[in-house]
Amino acid sequence: MCTRPTLPLLAITLGIPLLVHSVDAAEPARTSAVSAEVDRLLEAEIRASGGTPAPLASDGDFLRRATLDLTDQLPPSNSVTLFQLDPNSTKRSRLINRLVHSTEFSASQARYWRDVIFSRATEMRSRQMSPPVFQAWMTEQFEQKQSWDKIVEHLLTATGDVRENGATALLFAHGGEAAELAAETSRIFLGIQIQCANCHDHPTDRWKRIQFHQLAAFFPRVRVRPKRDATPRTFEVVSQDASRRGRRNPSAQALGLMFRRLDRNRDGKLVKSEVTDSRLDRSFDRLLQRGDANKDGGLSLKEFQKLPPPGNNNRRNDTEHYMPNLDEPGNRGDAIRPVFFATGGRATEGLDDVERRQLLANHVTSTRNRWFARAYVNRTWSVLLGEGFSMPIDDMGPEREVAHPQVFDLLCRDFTDSGYDTRRLFEIIAGTRAYQRQIRPRDPTEPTPPFASAQPSRLRADQVYNALLEVLGIESTSVRQRSLRRQRPGQSNNMMSRRRSAGRTLFLTLFGFDPSTPQEDIKGNVPQALYLMNSPLIHAMIRAGGNTRLAKILRKHPGDDDAISEVYLLVLSREPSASELKICREYITEVGHRGEAFEDLMWSLVNSSEFLSRR
Amino acid sequence: MTDFPPDTPRTFSRRQVLEAVPATALAAGTVGLADVVQVEAEELKKQGRSMILLWMAGGPSQFETLDPKPGTDNGGPTKAISTAVPGMQVAEYWPRVAKTIDRFSLIRSMTNKEGNHQRASYQLHTGYVPSGSVKHPSLSASIAEQLASPEFELPAVVSVGRTTGSGFLGVDYEPFTVNNPGQLPQNVSVPVPARRYRRRLGLLGRLEQEFSGRGGKTVVAKHQKLYKKSSRMVLSKNVAAFDISEEPDSLKQKYGETSFGRGCLLARRLVESGVTFVEVVSRGWDTHFDIFERITTLSEQVDPAVAALVEDLETRGLLEKTLVVWMGEFGRTPRVNSRTGRDHYPRVFSAAVAGGGVKGGQVIGSSSANGSAVADRPVSVPDLFCSICHSLQVDPRKEHLSPLGRPMKVVDGGKVVQDLFA
Repeated sequence: MCTRPTLPLLAITLGIPLLVHSVDAAEPARTSAVSAEVDRLLEAEIRASGGTPAPLASDGDFLRRATLDLTDQLPPSNSVTLFQLDPNSTKRSRLINRLVHSTEFSASQARYWRDVIFSRATEMRSRQMSPPVFQAWMTEQFEQKQSWDKIVEHLLTATGDVRENGATALLFAHGGEAAELAAETSRIFLGIQIQCANCHDHPTDRWKRIQFHQLAAFFPRVRVRPKRDATPRTFEVVSQDASRRGRRNPSAQALGLMFRRLDRNRDGKLVKSEVTDSRLDRSFDRLLQRGDANKDGGLSLKEFQKLPPPGNNNRRNDTEHYMPNLDEPGNRGDAIRPVFFATGGRATEGLDDVERRQLLANHVTSTRNRWFARAYVNRTWSVLLGEGFSMPIDDMGPEREVAHPQVFDLLCRDFTDSGYDTRRLFEIIAGTRAYQRQIRPRDPTEPTPPFASAQPSRLRADQVYNALLEVLGIESTSVRQRSLRRQRPGQSNNMMSRRRSAGRTLFLTLFGFDPSTPQEDIKGNVPQALYLMNSPLIHAMIRAGGNTRLAKILRKHPGDDDAISEVYLLVLSREPSASELKICREYITEVGHRGEAFEDLMWSLVNSSEFLSRR
Repeated sequence: MTDFPPDTPRTFSRRQVLEAVPATALAAGTVGLADVVQVEAEELKKQGRSMILLWMAGGPSQFETLDPKPGTDNGGPTKAISTAVPGMQVAEYWPRVAKTIDRFSLIRSMTNKEGNHQRASYQLHTGYVPSGSVKHPSLSASIAEQLASPEFELPAVVSVGRTTGSGFLGVDYEPFTVNNPGQLPQNVSVPVPARRYRRRLGLLGRLEQEFSGRGGKTVVAKHQKLYKKSSRMVLSKNVAAFDISEEPDSLKQKYGETSFGRGCLLARRLVESGVTFVEVVSRGWDTHFDIFERITTLSEQVDPAVAALVEDLETRGLLEKTLVVWMGEFGRTPRVNSRTGRDHYPRVFSAAVAGGGVKGGQVIGSSSANGSAVADRPVSVPDLFCSICHSLQVDPRKEHLSPLGRPMKVVDGGKVVQDLFA
């Protein structure tokens, strides 16, 4: 059991100033000071609710956790022992700092956001064309230390060829559809699922249907269209600021004039006999069906004006957003002006597409909009701790419960004050004791406050893929020494790299999941298990003969115990425990064939849940 | 302790057990009476019912399939043809189905509100509109949860093509996806002898204990469940059901040498071996343009396969207990658009059902003369789902707790369309 040190004592032993605000306001607080303040608040609250924070994880576990979280890779197997032996007391924070400032960090962030955006893509063609371009662009953003608000601004305001401008990813992923873009902008960047209000006012949520449509009204002029005569086939995101056929929708006044001309008997109602010679003759039955709200067999002026313009009921030609009237599905509904629901920010009239989206980006990323920082902080915390302050991370909203609101607010404030500095936030969170704790089984009989211990979580597909390459000894230029230039489209078209990237894509499809999914909902599936158990590739690469990594280990270490340790370090980045060593020794004896037994050991570790988990 | 498969796994399917146990095994004294009683009780409960869903992804046009309107503005150039049942007509693209129409009930009055592909597909698979807070189980999962035998080695739900998952019902009912129907799925062949494979699984089970004791208990338990299921499948003789190569060529030709045809033949083999739910996906029905050309290509693949499937099931005596449902996520607009296509239209569309006690050779409901609305006997998604449950003797009101602790019924609302059944 852990004895309970008093807080000031803890602070003194760690050499941390107790109050962060005492640091000069002009200078941002050192990340270590913020991490310490987070821990101080968190540990006090955990203890107050009857919990005990778990001890810190071992150096080996920490090394694996941080390297996977910040770069999507396993630590090289020879670095584990070196890290454990390093006597420097600041080695953990130095490691975090080095990883956060590595190119691999940028590449890993790009892959993460690729999954966030494309997991929910509604325009399926975007999944084939856009991800590599987006990844290259996003990696570059992180490499250039672009702040989060600028990145989001680019994603919301982009135009151009989807194979050239990676910032078009989100717009392309939803084919420029206003309603989808509104839903995803809110979900991803604000952590709010306002799209439920698309069809109805939700009884318990604050935001109403009209507000969803006001958000969608920032996007009605976005178009995604095929680029003519382009090879390879591509699409472009463009603005449609005027009606495409050059035909404007008739104004209410013009419709009124037309109505009075047709309404011969001046009874305020158009009936079939009145329109027989007009151009409405052929379509009148259909118009009646659509527009005759009171079912009196004729169209009143009001009903007439509400009709969708003839031949123009296709949304593609609308340059404004319409909120459908749910009682009259045939009617396109009322034109809606853009208003940003979270702050009430409005758009002046007459803005073109890019101006509207720029204005939305300004509203979304404004420091007045607290949801912007909250969504990113909650997400980042959940990536690193396995669970967010508010769950699910993309459905926060004002009515959701927040764990440790003080800690959450502290981090949000720091993130906002830093000018949305993503690296700084990662460094602060990874620097906390909360991040570095041991995983601990949750005891159902005891109250277990969140974040008192680490939680094992499932590795993302990219992490499993990189780990497999490392463990199986498959060279991959695309992972370790990939330069940014090589990622650019059109430049990596030699056969080898194309085949490798095809293999990677297949693997990512098999093991991929939407990273916004809560951990408890992420489950493996049979094809994944079959791949790890039976795929010819893995079978070939874990052979004890030839030039595999296992073969090399067996040649270099004639003693079984040494070889077992090396296999463990290679696959799980740790030494085997005494009981594992015993099981392995017994197994080798039982099998009676060293090579075969070690192949089975490699197979078992690659197929273990620990290999697939962040521990 | 591990509970990986024993050295002599029982490789009988449910149907085989039912047929084989009383006659041979009992006589030979190899199975105790208690076993037989238990197996029979289990079987009586399940009654070997299963379902095949033929999913037309993209939304098939009712005008070009089951509800043609020849000679009207909205009908387009599509003609209607006579079928095996006097007075019943279908669109000209479906000659083979027309000949087997006496096995089908056509529903021409399906109606719904969802016109977005993803949302509507989700709804027509789960019975619920998507919600951010809960992943509803697909109906296939709910059906398998009530019907599938936990002893059966193959996945309870198989899908030829991607589909909606089992949601919060979890990995036991997650559809096993097949991408190249007819061939053994990838990585199903075991790379080492079965004996060594089992030994490996034993080692894996023992080594997992360490992580389990170090805080990974839940993760390890979930993983072991998955591995048990996966290894049981690959070690089972039943996996041969995935391989259609032993089927006679004449039968393959009847189904059609297309991916969808092979998928349907695979569906029959799987159902025959004891799989509870098989979905076969046909893509390309989102015909916003050139619908009359594209429908020809599509129906050339789907028409023979559907007809052959129903006939084949009938020949083998499986049709009575196998419900076949043909549908997509919505219908298409009555008006033919300027690109000679039809757009999304959930307000009225068609579906077809056969087998599973469904009365053949009849039409349920109707659409209005111009096809823009339901004229008679509207059938909602929950109505259809209740009817499916009725056919399979699955309880549509059984409740499962969602992860947020909210009880959710298999089907919320809706009534059985009694006319469907004989």
